Amino acid sequence: MRGHVAPHRWADAAAGRVGEGERQTMARHAEACPACAAARMRVERLAGGTGTFAAIRAQSAPELPWDSIRARVHWDVSSERRSRPTGMVAIRPRRVRPWMWAVLATTAAAAAGGALYLQHSGSARAPIAVAEPVPAAAPAAPALAGVVSRLTGDVLVDGIRRDGDRLFAAPLPVGTRLATGDGRIDVQLGAGTAASLGPRSTLELRRVDATAIELVVEGTVDLEVAPRLPGQRFLVLAGDETVEVHGTQFRVRHDGQGTAVACRHGRVAVRDGHGEVEVGSARRVEVAAGHAVAESASLPMTTDELALLAQATPVTTPSWGDPDAALRATSTLEVITPGKRAVRVDGVERGEAPMRVRVMPGRHLVEAADSAGRFKRVEWVEVGAGAETSSVPVAKVAAAVEAIPTASAAARRRELLAGLDRVRLAHCVRAMTKAGLGETYVQIEIAVDPAGAVGFLNVIDSDLPSATATCVRDALADVHFAAGDAASWRERIDL
Amino acid sequence: MIHGVKRDSTGSLAALDPADEADLIARCRDHQRAAHDELYHRFRRQVAGNLYRVLGDRSDLDDLVQEVFVIAFRGLERFRGDARLSTWLYRICVNVALGRIRTRKRRPPPIGVDDLDAANADPSLVERPEMPDRALERREEQARVYRALDTLPPKKRMVLYLHEIEGLDLKEIAYLVDSNPVTVRTRLFYARREFYAALVADAAAIAAATEAAR
Repeated sequence: MRGHVAPHRWADAAAGRVGEGERQTMARHAEACPACAAARMRVERLAGGTGTFAAIRAQSAPELPWDSIRARVHWDVSSERRSRPTGMVAIRPRRVRPWMWAVLATTAAAAAGGALYLQHSGSARAPIAVAEPVPAAAPAAPALAGVVSRLTGDVLVDGIRRDGDRLFAAPLPVGTRLATGDGRIDVQLGAGTAASLGPRSTLELRRVDATAIELVVEGTVDLEVAPRLPGQRFLVLAGDETVEVHGTQFRVRHDGQGTAVACRHGRVAVRDGHGEVEVGSARRVEVAAGHAVAESASLPMTTDELALLAQATPVTTPSWGDPDAALRATSTLEVITPGKRAVRVDGVERGEAPMRVRVMPGRHLVEAADSAGRFKRVEWVEVGAGAETSSVPVAKVAAAVEAIPTASAAARRRELLAGLDRVRLAHCVRAMTKAGLGETYVQIEIAVDPAGAVGFLNVIDSDLPSATATCVRDALADVHFAAGDAASWRERIDL
Repeated sequence: MIHGVKRDSTGSLAALDPADEADLIARCRDHQRAAHDELYHRFRRQVAGNLYRVLGDRSDLDDLVQEVFVIAFRGLERFRGDARLSTWLYRICVNVALGRIRTRKRRPPPIGVDDLDAANADPSLVERPEMPDRALERREEQARVYRALDTLPPKKRMVLYLHEIEGLDLKEIAYLVDSNPVTVRTRLFYARREFYAALVADAAAIAAATEAAR
């Protein structure tokens, strides 16, 4: 063999792509050549089931901000679609050919020559009054549309991801485009008028002035509209359909399947170029893509659908003069939870935390739902007065602690079972036993503090009628615990 | 039709039977938001994983994933169905990664030692505890591989990666890089020579530096 073995031949040999004779020759050479032996070892390490290539192949994706990426993708795709008129094909700008440059250059040179001639020959003519250069007018500040009143999850503003601090610190100008990922954003547009943009949706605040409020939506938006200024129209543009509002709370959903409008109370008119349908309280209309509005009839809504709309009511603050004034008069309450958790502020459900919500300064009761969906008080929070500057006071609230079984739960559990008044329990289920309904059970969730006091006692599952379950619960509540370790746990008690 | 060129190492989420896939594509073409979401959720990890492995670093990975999905949603109208959706997405990943390789000015540390945490490794490897020195050695080996890949021109690099590391055949690679198998074979021929030579030279240089340090 002449010379060294090319490194890639070791890879070929490892993959069985080298004949037996050549393989033996290469091996003999490697025995006598330390450099080739090292190369062989290096290359052979790569292949095989446990080699470096296999390790690279086995790597999975690192964790990324999936929600944010989704929002950006959605923004890009939907912005492009919005900017493209229906039925039109994007036209690629024509390339400027070299001869065009020559024509342009000639034209420019002729124009410059003409200007010079006029300048020099002008001295022989009557002077021409030259206007003083007018200073360029300062660009008018964009009109303000509203303020953010609630925020959960990621939101893009004009295609840029914004954090909660910035969103709550300044009003949104007219023309703002909002896009959500898995979260939701509420924008208050006036006294008692607000829009709540649902997940994976976009909203453009196209016009907000004394004569009209115009919003362009793609996705789902819930609106609450208070009586407006005299002559002021409120329009929601959803694709080819326009929804005109006459004082109401309603939802508009627009996507590739069509447009759906559901009205909780008040009245809205849905129209396109061909006709109009009026949608009254507790009614909805669905216009399939490619169909005329006039082909659709409004239908009554179910109780569940109405309840969903009620839950999606946008957050508004009572203090409203204009967006700037509202910003100064209000504050931000930030509720931080380790995972997603339903939150109530002052007894009103505000959606899932982590979230920020605009509130009036003062004391506010924050409650968070546990894993069973029951709201528990977290704490009263003192929220400071709104600041004159852009800095907004933020009160951070710790999350409600789940009932997590603790190590001391075993001892407390023994206490519970030993202290159960079985006679009383039997009395509770006597009627059922008489009816031949035996083998019933109740599952409870209970917390006991170091002093032995019961922090909470909830019946979380049972096959008992509610009256019987209450009787059982009362019997359990009378169990006495001694001072000891705090504990919380769940217990299934067969009756 | 090329089937399932790339598997999803994170599980079966990306697996769709052809009928469901056709339905998903049709709904996406109809601009249904739910369909876009489903496609994104099904394939996001696969896309991120492909980009991560091809490039060997995670800097700007979220931007690249975004780019892949934007291209995919824009291009679904033109998707002819001559490959599985996952393969088509992989093809977009390859193109986006090629663009990235061409444009990045400053090379970030390839597959940095700190970048490869256990959480991203193969579950079977995680379950089998690895000695720290072995783990470090493995990471250094991977870093050497990416250093050697970095010495190749982008097209050669991509072909070599797909063949040697991903184990794809010439026909599959030709589809992914939008070329023909003969061209791919030629590129691969030269790429393998350059890659293994660079790898051995890198190892020799490190060994010499270590020796000099002593």
